[in-house]
Amino acid sequence: MKHAWIVFAKELADALRDRRTLLRILVPALMMGPLLLAALSSLIASLEERADRREILVVGMANAPTLQNFIERQTYTVKEAPKDYEARLRATTLLEPVLVVPADFEAKLLKGEAPTVEIVSDSANQRAGAGIGPIQGLLRGFNNERASLSLAMRGVSISLLQPVDIEERDLASVQARATRLTSMIPMFIVMAVLYGALTAALDSTAGERERGSLEPLLMNPAPHGAIVVGKWGAVALLGLVVALLSSLSFIPAQWLLKSDVLQAQFQFGMGEVLAFWLLQFPLAAGLSALLMALAIRSKTFKEAQAGSTLVVTAISLTPMVSLLNPGGDAPWYLWVPGLAQNTLMLQVLKGEVLRWSQVLPGVLVGFALAALALLYVARSMRAAVAR
Amino acid sequence: MIEINDVHKQFTSRTGAGLFKRGTKRVVQAVQGVTLQAGDGRITGLLGANGAGKTTTLRMLAGLFPPDAGHIAVDGIVVKDESLKALARMGILGDAHGLYPRLSARENIVYFGRLQGMDADTANARATELGKLLEMQSILDRRADGFSQGERMKTALARALVHDPANIVLDEPTNGLDVLATRGLREALRWLRSPEGGGKCIVFSTHIMQEVEQLCDEVVVVSKGRSVARGSVPALLEQAGASRFEDAFVKLAFPEEVTA
Repeated sequence: MKHAWIVFAKELADALRDRRTLLRILVPALMMGPLLLAALSSLIASLEERADRREILVVGMANAPTLQNFIERQTYTVKEAPKDYEARLRATTLLEPVLVVPADFEAKLLKGEAPTVEIVSDSANQRAGAGIGPIQGLLRGFNNERASLSLAMRGVSISLLQPVDIEERDLASVQARATRLTSMIPMFIVMAVLYGALTAALDSTAGERERGSLEPLLMNPAPHGAIVVGKWGAVALLGLVVALLSSLSFIPAQWLLKSDVLQAQFQFGMGEVLAFWLLQFPLAAGLSALLMALAIRSKTFKEAQAGSTLVVTAISLTPMVSLLNPGGDAPWYLWVPGLAQNTLMLQVLKGEVLRWSQVLPGVLVGFALAALALLYVARSMRAAVAR
Repeated sequence: MIEINDVHKQFTSRTGAGLFKRGTKRVVQAVQGVTLQAGDGRITGLLGANGAGKTTTLRMLAGLFPPDAGHIAVDGIVVKDESLKALARMGILGDAHGLYPRLSARENIVYFGRLQGMDADTANARATELGKLLEMQSILDRRADGFSQGERMKTALARALVHDPANIVLDEPTNGLDVLATRGLREALRWLRSPEGGGKCIVFSTHIMQEVEQLCDEVVVVSKGRSVARGSVPALLEQAGASRFEDAFVKLAFPEEVTA
């Protein structure tokens, strides 16, 4: 135990002295979250702003005074669309869809023939795409009004038009709605654990072999198990520290949120930070040991880096499973390292209470993985220097 | 006191291979019968050409892997059975002696001292002491990052000696050292052998004749994995019937070269 502690202290001091590497790990880990939130919030803010402005871009409004009258009664302002709107929509320099009214609109309307209006957008232009809904709503309202008027003049009840009354009721809590936007955040925390642990894990195994310092280290009367546990403790702690800093970075990041709605919805306080951090413990334990086990067989740092690519890719892809399958959380998610943490963190973000039965699988898998991998490292160390 | 009695070790290695053909396995007899008795207060040299099996023998002594056959004991402790106990009685400067570049020389030394069971203060005092003995005070508190070959070697040696072991094992310690550094090392070893230096049992391997002549009380000549002759330098000269030690070595180690 004493030996493990000595190795732990040395590995930690050694890793902390490597300022340049540390900085390279910390900067992305600390910047990604705030950058993501800022980008999200500016998107939302611009959507809100558009809703507030209540403007609509139209080509040929003069052809349809009836429609213009309706639109203006809905307190929308009609603006003439720029001439080159198609090109600008394609180039994403115009961020709103355009309503195109044909020249024979009024004439057809009078004759009872349905005139065709176009809503022009570009599905690759997401911001413009998001503006289609309100315009469709406006046009539907116009249709409704025209139909009701004609029916009323013929003495038919308007309620015949709407045999079914539709009302929307959203069950998601305020926080749950915000989660749709912030579901990327857990991914950054998981990646922070990985990046914090990666360099230290490789340096303390393959790096030690490359430097030729592993052999002298093993010539000390210290049990190999103790040496491995000390190294692992330092590696896992580094992963956890980076994860903690990364989740802390979301607290000041909230100040960057421009949208009031998002600010109200995104609740991320010290409680969430603590929950996030505690959830990373099994992941940091398992991942650190796994990376060390993969690296101990490599003769050089470079070789070990190539070997760890698989783990890095696998871990960074796990959150994708739940992103691609929203709402369909399967029970097996909780047994997969990375995915389990991701799922549980999403629950925390939703403001739901975690049950032990949900947390336990991840803890078991994480620490079992750690134990197995450490056993392997301890056994491989002697073989590594004997060749 | 180090006893190595008729140890054997073989490795399997792969031969080179074609693009699609794997190399075939081949057994390499690295050591096939090395015997060495190193007493306290004496310097015992393990002299042999490159690839004679010196390093493999010393690595077995350090407990990195067990011998296939034979017996190795340090102060009566069998290395194979109680390697940790044996390691505590040895200071080993092996073939690989990498330092931690981000730690200072002193921290490198203290780290190993603590792993040998010393407390931080004792290890620190010992590092200062060794700094004096090996004439490396000026680099003691510098990071090992930019050390020269000689400075690295000194630090590694100090690291191996930090727990004041009764037995000192050095694998080609003068490799890459300049004349002054070699002299300094020689002085240090002589002092460690003397009663005031602790009367240590020192084993060191080398392929340099001069060193053996100037330093060793006893020499074991190793050739092709076997120890072929042992004795003091004058005794070996007599045995080979040569006046120069180099001639004696070639005669003893490669008899077929001489007769050819």
